Amino acid sequence: MRVALFVPCYVDQLRPQIGLATLDFLTAAGFEVDFQEEVICCGQPFLTAGETKRAAALGARFVDAFQHVDAIVTPSGSCAATLRRHLESLVAAPAAASVAAKTFELCEFITKESACPPLSRPFPHRVGLHASCHGLRELGLGTPTETRAATRIDPARELLSRIPELEITSLDRRDECCGFGGTFSVEEAAVSTRMGLDRLEDHGRGGAEIVTSTDVSCLLHLEGLSRRRTLPFEIFHIAEILAASALGHDLRASAEPR
Amino acid sequence: MGHVDRAREFVRDESRTKWHDESLWFVRAKRDDAADTVPDWEALRDEAATIKRDALSRLPDLWRQFETAATEAGAVVHWARDAEEHNQIVLDLLEERGFRRVVKSKSMLTEECGLNPFLEARGIEIIDTDLGERIVQLRNEPPSHIVMPAIHLKRSEVGKLFEKEMGAPVGLDDPDALTALARKDLRKRFIAAEAGITGVNFAVAETGSFVVVTNEGNADLGTALPSLHIACVGLEKIIPAPSDLAPFLRLLARSATGQPISAYTSHFRGPREAEDIGSPAPAMHIVIVDNGRSDLLAQPSFRDALACIRCGACLNTCPVYRRSGGHSYGTTIPGPIGSVLEPSRDPKAHAELPHACTLCGSCTNVCPVRVPLHHQLLTWRAHLAEGGHHPTRRRVAFGLAGRLFAHPRAYEILTKAGRRVARRLPTAWLDRLTSPWTEARTLPPIPARSFREQMRARARQATKGPR
Amino acid sequence: MSARDQILAALTRHPAPPVEPARPESRPEMPANPWSVLEERLAQNGGRLVHSHSGAWIDSVKWPCEFAELTHVYVAKNVPESSPTPPASQLSPTAHLSTLTSRGVGATAKAMRDLEPLEVTVLYADFAVAENGAVWHVPASALERTAALLAEHLIVLVPASSLVATLHHAYERIALAETRFGWFLSGPSKTADIEQSLVLGAHGPRTMQLVALES
Repeated sequence: MRVALFVPCYVDQLRPQIGLATLDFLTAAGFEVDFQEEVICCGQPFLTAGETKRAAALGARFVDAFQHVDAIVTPSGSCAATLRRHLESLVAAPAAASVAAKTFELCEFITKESACPPLSRPFPHRVGLHASCHGLRELGLGTPTETRAATRIDPARELLSRIPELEITSLDRRDECCGFGGTFSVEEAAVSTRMGLDRLEDHGRGGAEIVTSTDVSCLLHLEGLSRRRTLPFEIFHIAEILAASALGHDLRASAEPR
Repeated sequence: MGHVDRAREFVRDESRTKWHDESLWFVRAKRDDAADTVPDWEALRDEAATIKRDALSRLPDLWRQFETAATEAGAVVHWARDAEEHNQIVLDLLEERGFRRVVKSKSMLTEECGLNPFLEARGIEIIDTDLGERIVQLRNEPPSHIVMPAIHLKRSEVGKLFEKEMGAPVGLDDPDALTALARKDLRKRFIAAEAGITGVNFAVAETGSFVVVTNEGNADLGTALPSLHIACVGLEKIIPAPSDLAPFLRLLARSATGQPISAYTSHFRGPREAEDIGSPAPAMHIVIVDNGRSDLLAQPSFRDALACIRCGACLNTCPVYRRSGGHSYGTTIPGPIGSVLEPSRDPKAHAELPHACTLCGSCTNVCPVRVPLHHQLLTWRAHLAEGGHHPTRRRVAFGLAGRLFAHPRAYEILTKAGRRVARRLPTAWLDRLTSPWTEARTLPPIPARSFREQMRARARQATKGPR
Repeated sequence: MSARDQILAALTRHPAPPVEPARPESRPEMPANPWSVLEERLAQNGGRLVHSHSGAWIDSVKWPCEFAELTHVYVAKNVPESSPTPPASQLSPTAHLSTLTSRGVGATAKAMRDLEPLEVTVLYADFAVAENGAVWHVPASALERTAALLAEHLIVLVPASSLVATLHHAYERIALAETRFGWFLSGPSKTADIEQSLVLGAHGPRTMQLVALES
């Protein structure tokens, strides 16, 4: 099966190692992975800012680039959610619906295809799993605490729980938003900061050393807050942890030093 | 000053913000527990949601039916196009009878219409009888929550207020004792009242009945004693039949406060029985109010918000509301539902409210009538941007970024140059350049090579040999 | 055009599309232990459930003071007759319903405002609802409604055989078109408006006892 890897701009620029980990993990899972340089953005920031026309233009580029692949996989739950939920209403091209339907968040895709490579290397850490709101409530990856509908599997938790010696720590508020929220993080910086710090405190109470998530944007926000206050957290994307366990990627070496 | 500035002010007090957040989270947790006791919770939400949408599809018929039935029951029905008409109708009803003393139970509609200041300016004493409403009335401020109007206040602040207003002993902050003082004061006012005003939770078309829900019993006390009952009802409050009340009443209190039902769920149909010898004959007047609701109905993207039953669950769950307080919104109705409703009234004034939201979607999930709140907020952003209500800096920034992302070559050149500069800049400079992101956050080390560049390097290596 | 016609016209201009209400195929059934469910839910609302045999409820409820010392009581006309069961009773052996009603200020009050001060009001409700601990009560008069609100303590009797599972079942029993005023009552008057701290007796009764009468 050929899958296209979609690496959004902020991963490309700020955390390229997440893109590489995703690529290598998908390859180890037995997929032929293509990377399309032409696609930089799914349009999400534009959509949430109300700039619908620009979101639609980028959505059209996305459809154009990916309409012929079997699946599109991204290490960003919120990008996947934007495409899945909104692409069809943004882009008139007939292929929009099928592109939306075959776009997946990494863990979601691996679980759906039952294609997880052996996660054999131990990861002896206490890991706090931050539920990305868009993954949880738009893609349905897991059961939100609000709902009383039938429970759904959280692919990220499911994959992490397979890794030897990895302990998933608990949270008082299992799926509270971290406060990133796209433009919210800068326009409402004060509230955004409070929300993020509250999340980190909760992870701290649970004893997490590492905080991970399926969403890079949430993690950049939490990491920035943690760094500023020199809090004792390391922040890694779930693809990095999966690649470390499956392939022996060195988490800390993969970041190129400043 | 908008939400951004008021919220910034609110979170500056860290311990208070935490306290506010935890108070409301406690209510949200009670709501979760209550939902657990209802095996058919999600089906009930479906039912309630569709009953409301059915009603919204035939409002004229239902209200005509209501009017006929209520009139048969002896009530007098009035229609008000806007807040001014509503206030005038209420004033006329009071003045015709020479009434000067009015008690009111909680009603967000009269809050929206500014009834209190209107009547007070005309020499009528109007007393809010819900304890929380009374507290904010005495403080001369709006409610900060639609169900818990004084949730922003600490007991000591209520104590200080009662010291001034009700002669409470200095330093009294025991909620029992404070409530007892208010009870004593309000009891006198209930006994003396000539008219009682209530809101309406549900109006039943088939019977001309309406239902008012309270925990304090203030709506009942305020209408049992005075001869005149004025009920003010928004156009969205109608449901077809008595049996339709069941799903809503099963959801309402559980969603609002986590209670299985409120203490008093009162069904009114026509004026009360004549009882007091020598008192004026009992009368019931119902004021049906539009005040922008028909405009909202005309907007397919937002009309679902008319299904709202004002339970406040979306406020309690909203991580932004919990950390910015109801007053930060500057509207009658704060929180997610307010941010959906208020821009339809005044898009210019409230253009930023849909952005006081991270789009986390929790509000949509708790809403008992399935108003797609966070998607409506997203849609509002688009509408308001198109309407020219968004700040120029946002439009320009996104205009440039949009063009950049559509031109991979330009993107590549610019970001590469950007990273090169960023890697050489002292942190303090970089922080200043990237503020407000770096107001409270430190940037990660900027990578030398982007993902794209590293992919190309890999490809080059691959042609030399296996990696 | 009148305000009425203008509003109706505005609503007609932009109707929402028709929707068929999603009615579930079934409603929750009576729980296996309905009275303990009711007891729990009523307790959440600050009320207390008492089981009693009809004719002995005076014995079963908690009175705010010595029964003989009660002076201001309202007893609804439809409340069934009761006498304490000697000799176990802590009540005066002469106590029975007629002594209450003859003393009751409510029973003789001409005006509702004369009801104050009122220590206890006793009502007789139509039926109880298991899922939320509420009872459906239709006051015989505005006086009775007021008495239920002004009393310091509220006692509501309900036939034990009248329990329904949910509010859906409740509305099947209610003839709303013929009801000038009726209410679900669950627990005493209460507020949590000061720091979420639950206070019983916001305006009306401070306590509420629900008496399930076995015949």
